[in-house]
Amino acid sequence: MEFLAPAWLAAAAAIAVPLLLHLMRRRIGTRIDFPAVRYLARAEREHSRKLRMRNLLLMLLRVAAVLVLTAAAARPIARLAGGGHAPTSLAIVLDNSLSSSAIQNGRPVLDELRARAREVVARASGEDRLFLVTADAVSRGGGRGAMLDAIDHVEPLAGAGDLERAVARAAALVRQGPASARWMHVREIVIITDAQASTWRRPVSLGDVRVILHRAPGTPPENRAVSHAEARPIRWTPRGSVVARFRGPDTATYRFTLEGRTLARGTAARDEEVIVRVSPPEQGWTAGTVELEPDEMRGDDVRHFAAWIGPAPGIAVHREIATFAQSAVDALRQTERVVAGSDVSIAPADVAVRLPALLFAPADPVRAGAANRVLERLGVPWRLGALRPGEIAARGTAEGVRPLDGVMVARRHALRPVGGATADTIAMAGAEPWIVGGPGYVLVASPLTPDATSLPVRAAFIPWLTDVVTQRLVGDAGTVVHASPGAAIARPDGMDALEVPGGRRVALAADTVIAPDRAGVAFFMRGGRRVGALVVNPEPDESDLARLTPDALVSRVRAAEVVSPDSARWTAALFSSSPRRSLLVPVLVLALAVLLLESAVAGAGQRRAA
Amino acid sequence: MPTTAHARADLLDPAMLAALGRIELIARWVVDGFISGLHRSPRKGFSVEFAEHRPYQPGDDLRYVDWRIAARIDRWVVKQYEEETNLRATLVLDVSASMAWSGDPARLTKLAYAERLVAAVALLLLRQRDSVGLVRFDDRLRTVVPPRMRSGQWRRIVAALDDPGAGKASYAAGALERAARVVPRRGMILLVSDLLVEGDEVVRSVRSLRAAGHHVTVLHVMDPAERELPFASDAIFVDPESGSEVTATVADVRPAYRATVQAAIMEWRAALAAVGASYEVVMTNEPFGIPLRRAFAIRQRLP
Repeated sequence: MEFLAPAWLAAAAAIAVPLLLHLMRRRIGTRIDFPAVRYLARAEREHSRKLRMRNLLLMLLRVAAVLVLTAAAARPIARLAGGGHAPTSLAIVLDNSLSSSAIQNGRPVLDELRARAREVVARASGEDRLFLVTADAVSRGGGRGAMLDAIDHVEPLAGAGDLERAVARAAALVRQGPASARWMHVREIVIITDAQASTWRRPVSLGDVRVILHRAPGTPPENRAVSHAEARPIRWTPRGSVVARFRGPDTATYRFTLEGRTLARGTAARDEEVIVRVSPPEQGWTAGTVELEPDEMRGDDVRHFAAWIGPAPGIAVHREIATFAQSAVDALRQTERVVAGSDVSIAPADVAVRLPALLFAPADPVRAGAANRVLERLGVPWRLGALRPGEIAARGTAEGVRPLDGVMVARRHALRPVGGATADTIAMAGAEPWIVGGPGYVLVASPLTPDATSLPVRAAFIPWLTDVVTQRLVGDAGTVVHASPGAAIARPDGMDALEVPGGRRVALAADTVIAPDRAGVAFFMRGGRRVGALVVNPEPDESDLARLTPDALVSRVRAAEVVSPDSARWTAALFSSSPRRSLLVPVLVLALAVLLLESAVAGAGQRRAA
Repeated sequence: MPTTAHARADLLDPAMLAALGRIELIARWVVDGFISGLHRSPRKGFSVEFAEHRPYQPGDDLRYVDWRIAARIDRWVVKQYEEETNLRATLVLDVSASMAWSGDPARLTKLAYAERLVAAVALLLLRQRDSVGLVRFDDRLRTVVPPRMRSGQWRRIVAALDDPGAGKASYAAGALERAARVVPRRGMILLVSDLLVEGDEVVRSVRSLRAAGHHVTVLHVMDPAERELPFASDAIFVDPESGSEVTATVADVRPAYRATVQAAIMEWRAALAAVGASYEVVMTNEPFGIPLRRAFAIRQRLP
């Protein structure tokens, strides 16, 4: 027996009232002079057993009345045998993640899962409420016909989806509905999954629902996959490289492409990192792929990447800092990463005349004021503050710029933001920003001299300078966002549209952007120009098709009841609950009977007393 | 007045009547009212005793002509008879603490009721030329007024009723024995008590009295509350004599109590009948005329 309003059961504490009355009735302090006490004593002596029995019966009846009325207030329900299964709110969680597209025994795993889902729907009755929730947490509801149609149209996702969210969604669906009828429905969730171990890493808690698990039988196939593909660096000027890694039982034959053009082919060993260096003729934001020969799971045989490609920038170095900067620029020029020109200037802040520029604090602290006036004129929202004493280690924090391990800072200015400058900190000195960057500028709070910082004399200086010039100061300030299919990401600042594969553009208005549900490269747009890329690839873990054992799968689900019958008997576990009926009327009748009996017993005493 | 046909004192509410005057006044009203209600003289059928002779007058009943004197002196004289007492009655009154109780302030206590009843019975008997005495007792004998028929006997009895009493126990058996001693020849003994005593001793004493030829009548005085247990709440009931206590839930125990009281009455009636004594239950809310009539009827049955 269950209760729809169990809070009322607390009122059962009221049984203490008749109990206390029964126990305390002989502790009454009223004293009455009464000469015929001997008759009273004799009456009690001769009728004591009868009196005790009557009092006990009255006490029990009153306690029973309180309990029965309390039970009635708590609205009891109970399962009654017969009449088919109880009306059930049932949600089918169909795991159509990418791993379900794997071919097993000549057909996709998803076909087997869909067949099991159809069996569930076939056993449903007209009183059941049915829902279908796929691994991307998309739900559908309806009658048996609609459910069967929805199941037939379920296709494998391009990624892992979010099975945890899907299961939670299913739990919410089976709990919803009119409060008046909610108690009638048994709540069941059927999870039909390939039990991929990487999907079921964490336990999911579903509360007071019954869960029936079905695990795809058999052993998953061997799978080869591109587990990693990345343009390094993101900005090619125009030289760059593509880094890829593969997984699989043995070697794999790969192909690198850029805008459909093959860049490289080869064979890679398991978990080998392959780097392909290129200097393509394309310009601007460009998409590429790393591909494998097709195998039993196609969705992870291709992995996408994006890169910005442009000409080598021309660098102009101010003579005041030419000692170290010019030699570094010359080294870059020899590797054709930069050329002589005026695209980017490297100068002390007090003598800079335009952006983009790499700016250093002036060597003479008294020129800090002049430097701040120049920064204001150039629109740089940072100012040089007071000198900070003491030598301290620098620490790089910016993505896309190599770290500054081992660089020490002996003389530096405090950096003060102006007018709500966004803190794009490239390096820290202690707890304060030391190098900050923004649109068209990178500002270093120390002079480029060895007495102020060891940066110009460290080996890391040239790679750092390369990253700063090519990734931060050349071309549009753009970004590359990696996401799984269908994932929600924050919209990068300033992006107003998304150009999806195929050329269609989708306006971006909300702060959240939903990634395309298929793998590929989409481009962020601003004012009709590509200014960044959204690279959509399946989660690397999705390529690991290893499955949990049935017992391990059961241990990942926490609910009122979790069953995982084998394939032959699993349908018998569905809709196993007998119908639940309200016991309110029988309990009220019982309460009335108890009260009438109590009145009869008490009344009989009163009549005799009268 | 209480003695009018419209308001006979013997039929009035005893509490209301008691409020009108002292014991002797109330007793007179009751007896007068009681006698006025009789259809024949209370003296009718009594044994009479010769008092004197008087000359015959026409119309005298020839049965009363003394024929022996007429034969000796040749003059008709008529025997003048005088009513005489042929009964010695002793009224034995229980004045223990249990008698000084009333279940309702508007009612007389059992003792107050019994005193007025005893006074009325004494007056009634004295008016019938019976000798009447009084024994009052509680845990010991309080008052002994030997039976007399002389004038002033009733006032002595009434005065004795004012003596202190209300002791902590009832020594009824001893009182009955003492009553037997003050009545040397066969007579009537009227015990007026609430009978909250040891029944065996009382019955044993009554048996002895009966063996001595006395007629014994027991008037069992009860307050209606003792019979009905009308209290509304649960309480601790305390015996004013013994101090013993019984805690009871009135509503629960009331039926059993009533049955027990009824059983006790039946036991008294049976036990006293077995030894040849009369027994009557007198409720303190009954008019005095009712127990008086019972006592009178008992007296009438005696020789």
